[in-house]
Amino acid sequence: MTTPNLKSNRSQVLPWIDRNRIFLLFFVILAFMTAFAPRFFNPFNLTTIMSTTAMNACVAIGFSIVMISGQLDLSIGTVITLAGIIGLGLQPRFGYAVSVPVAIVAGCLVGLVNGLLVTKAKINSFIVTLGTMTILQGVVYQSTGGNSIALSTPVAFSTADFLGKKLMPLVTPRILVTLALVAVFELVMRKTRFGRNFYMVGGNRNTAWLAGIGSDAYIIGAFMLSGLTAAVGGVFFAMESAAATQNLGTNSLMYVMSATIIGGTAMSGGKGGVFRSFVAILTLEILYDGVILFGLGNEVKIFLAGLILALVVLYEAYAVYKHDKVVGQRPYLLKELAEAGVKKG
Amino acid sequence: MKRLLLLFAVLALVAGTTFGQSAAAKKNLEDSLKVDVSVLKAADNQPLIVLSTEKKVIPARPANPEALPETDPLHWYDMEYAGWNTKKVNQPKSPGDGAIGKKIIFIVHGDHPWTTACILGAKKVADAYKIQFKALSPNWDLAVQNQMIDQAINERPDAILLIPLDAKTAPQQARKINEAGIPLFLFNTLPSAEAMNYCIAWTGPDDFGQQRKLARVWADEMKKRNADAKSIGVAYVQHAPGGSPYYARCWGPMSELSGYAPSVNTLIKDAPGFDADKASQVVGDWLTRFGPDLKGIFAADDSAQAIGIFEALKKAGRNDVVVVAAGNSRQGMDLVKQGKLFAITYQTAEGDGALAVKTASDWFNGKPVPPVSYIPQKIITKANVDQFYPAQW
Amino acid sequence: MEDKLKTTDGRSLRSGSFMRFMIVVGIYFAAALFILLGAVLQATGVIRGFLSVQNFINIIDTVSMLGIVAVGMAFVTYSGNMADMSVPTTMALTGIVAVQMLQYGFWPAIGIAIVTGLIIGMINAIVIGRFRANPIIWTLAVNYVTMGVIRLVWVNKQIYPDTVASTAGVSQSFDSIYRLNVVQHIGGNDLLNIRLPMLMMLILVVIGQFVLSRTSFGGQLKMTGASFRAAKFTGVHVESVIGLAFVVCAFTATLGGLAVTSLSRVGAWYNGAGYDFRAVTAVVIGGMTLAGGRGSIVGVLGGVLIIGLINNIMTLLGIPTLSQDIIRGAIFIIVVGINAKSLRSLGRDDT
Repeated sequence: MTTPNLKSNRSQVLPWIDRNRIFLLFFVILAFMTAFAPRFFNPFNLTTIMSTTAMNACVAIGFSIVMISGQLDLSIGTVITLAGIIGLGLQPRFGYAVSVPVAIVAGCLVGLVNGLLVTKAKINSFIVTLGTMTILQGVVYQSTGGNSIALSTPVAFSTADFLGKKLMPLVTPRILVTLALVAVFELVMRKTRFGRNFYMVGGNRNTAWLAGIGSDAYIIGAFMLSGLTAAVGGVFFAMESAAATQNLGTNSLMYVMSATIIGGTAMSGGKGGVFRSFVAILTLEILYDGVILFGLGNEVKIFLAGLILALVVLYEAYAVYKHDKVVGQRPYLLKELAEAGVKKG
Repeated sequence: MKRLLLLFAVLALVAGTTFGQSAAAKKNLEDSLKVDVSVLKAADNQPLIVLSTEKKVIPARPANPEALPETDPLHWYDMEYAGWNTKKVNQPKSPGDGAIGKKIIFIVHGDHPWTTACILGAKKVADAYKIQFKALSPNWDLAVQNQMIDQAINERPDAILLIPLDAKTAPQQARKINEAGIPLFLFNTLPSAEAMNYCIAWTGPDDFGQQRKLARVWADEMKKRNADAKSIGVAYVQHAPGGSPYYARCWGPMSELSGYAPSVNTLIKDAPGFDADKASQVVGDWLTRFGPDLKGIFAADDSAQAIGIFEALKKAGRNDVVVVAAGNSRQGMDLVKQGKLFAITYQTAEGDGALAVKTASDWFNGKPVPPVSYIPQKIITKANVDQFYPAQW
Repeated sequence: MEDKLKTTDGRSLRSGSFMRFMIVVGIYFAAALFILLGAVLQATGVIRGFLSVQNFINIIDTVSMLGIVAVGMAFVTYSGNMADMSVPTTMALTGIVAVQMLQYGFWPAIGIAIVTGLIIGMINAIVIGRFRANPIIWTLAVNYVTMGVIRLVWVNKQIYPDTVASTAGVSQSFDSIYRLNVVQHIGGNDLLNIRLPMLMMLILVVIGQFVLSRTSFGGQLKMTGASFRAAKFTGVHVESVIGLAFVVCAFTATLGGLAVTSLSRVGAWYNGAGYDFRAVTAVVIGGMTLAGGRGSIVGVLGGVLIIGLINNIMTLLGIPTLSQDIIRGAIFIIVVGINAKSLRSLGRDDT
């Protein structure tokens, strides 16, 4: 009796598709829109897509790292708003040279507080960040009295114009910032021990502990990175708008969260990647852009985004479910049994 | 020789088409001028396009309005009179070849039953002029609205009509459209004065003027009911922070009454959002806190907020409180009809969108357009509520 | 009743009666502290009207709909599945469906709305219970899709009960889901204003508490929440236990959705927004841990009441609603932190 060939073609192709499904999804949607959406594939529109993704793609970097570490950060939306308000609110007195770093540091501090509460006070990150999200909403209102902050000085306008200026097709300085951050963090997460340790901490804390990795430090670090990238995304967006509003980041939380999941970063931690989240955000944005170009309403957008998210989650859950069913079973034994005419199960 | 002939041929062709074009343009303009949109009606059987008959008096700007107290009407000068004394920048010239066949992109702020009615009204006028009309809604998301503006610029329409999502973010959006050389018409919410420089015209409700008017009706009724009271305590349920209604529907009436009815004094103001249950909780607690001292409530929204307020009043067994609200929703009109809400403002949603398209059409037709036009102001009370049914939304 | 859930050395796997007592009392102790705070503020003349029957009825009344939703959410949290994020659109959808179906009469409308809610619950039950999808993410996706469906079907419009209802009486019945004064209805005077949602909340708390602590389903739910694998290997049918928790949550969300829709007299996609996080907040303040298997429905009622008390005191103090978030968020983290710490010091570490 020979050992059955377990590595059939099928079992090689499917995992490959599975691993790269976000890239496939990206190309499928891109191809569809290029073929059918009016005025889609031209430099102007593609730049529009890039600049719309710039903020959320930046925010998704840190959010993905938190998820990879096995935690959740619900406070990113309000950190975006906070950073915008600080960055523009302090500009008249101190200039962007001070106000932007202050905004980014504030984002990191929020992350630090989140991280400390999660690791030292041992409160679930869902609760901690839900709490800080609520607190920050109040802080934003309290500090502005409900007003939006706008700058109409020449400096503010020239900065805004500079950030939105097309350097070459698809690239403006603000998009460049996001692309650079994505590239840096993707490299760090893949190629350095520091980055890989996040996967370790999220995948299995005990293993990480045995390997001598201080989980707490990495979790705090992940939250700080999340605060940092959310603040960077928020403050640069506000600078390009020359204004910061009370609900700048309100819609980002659910958007970034679903994109990160679609990108293949699991909520259980230890899986996924920064670049995948970026591609997922881009994919969603291409879809949204196409929906608008077709002249369809938000209801279509919401429905399609929900459907994609639901299918991805369902597929993933079903894959694990099937895997669990197979775990512990010995396929060749089953085959022997089947050959012997015994029904399996 | 051959080249010369070719040159002549090309020149003749160019001249011919130019002449043909100008003739066609003239014909188009004549046809456009013949279109009569004044016969159009809104869903509530009111005429679709009516201009405010009231002459808005523009006072001189104080040196520093922000330095004045918030209860001084002139503190709000830059907001209330935005658009009146602006210097227009880099404005495109009217093509003067008629509105028929033009293409406009209509960008609103987000999905809401009000918006649906507004787009409906705009569409009616656009159809009358056979304008290609495309409406976009960014679902209350600033990043998406910016994206839609970029896409609209890319599409190179003959005009962009825009409700800015936030007064303060409007200048940068308006600048962008202006620099692309596309005619811009702003409407509905008042942007900050800076944005007015970059648009051809603004149309919409005179929110401040309207709320001032409502405030007077409100104060009169409160004085009537509390004839011998020296001080009449009132509260304001505010709009969501950010847009012009947040200011116009709280400090508008407050500053008006500081002169018109000084005995009315503000006990408290708060922005509980647009949930009926939240409004009910907040107002219920106010009634506990102030008891009979609270004699009037001014609400920024006549639908969910107003319903919540009346639930709280009912729980406390109070029917002496004079409640007025801004807006013109069905729920609000029903409350007026039942005698619960004392007064609301008439604010035509369809007319708002329609006036914006009408103004753009006038501009295409080469007519002069005023920098600011208001939709009419009316106060709806139990006496005249029937003529405003059925509600637009 | 025989206690089947025991460890090998004979200790009950249900929390001991003293622990249970402490967990429940703990939150009511906190509530008492807030009442004391209110009383002190009133005595010193900072606020007024706090200590009155009317005010306490007000407090319970304003959180009644939150309470209804939180009871169902508590089942999900208790089962170890953190939270059901599809609650807001479940509320919106069932509300708008009920309004649309008022054309066939009041009870058919309510019936169809409940069936609609249960369908969403069943979908969650199958995907999370059977396929073990991540509950937060899956319900978030369901929330999106349902929102899309509502807006596609009703084309961004809102619908009013009185224009759809077959008769004026039907529309009035729908109105009274929120407004019915129970005391008056059964023949009492109208001074005591106990409305239907308040009664519904109290009934649901009693039933919920009974189910959790006195039925075998409750025991299985606790075991599943405490340890999914252990429960599975003990022979608990974890799929249906978890599934049932989500169905219960969808059912209470439906009741909440009907009340919210009845209150605002309009069926619209935005009804129920924010109830997901608010319900989780109440559940967690009420002593349930997100890890599952710990807490009680009576405790959740305490959490709901604390939220009502905090809102009431802060509004009486004149703090703007939007600034209240700072205090609300801080109290939330502190209460949960204390709870986690005390559980740990008792050797009952979750996380």
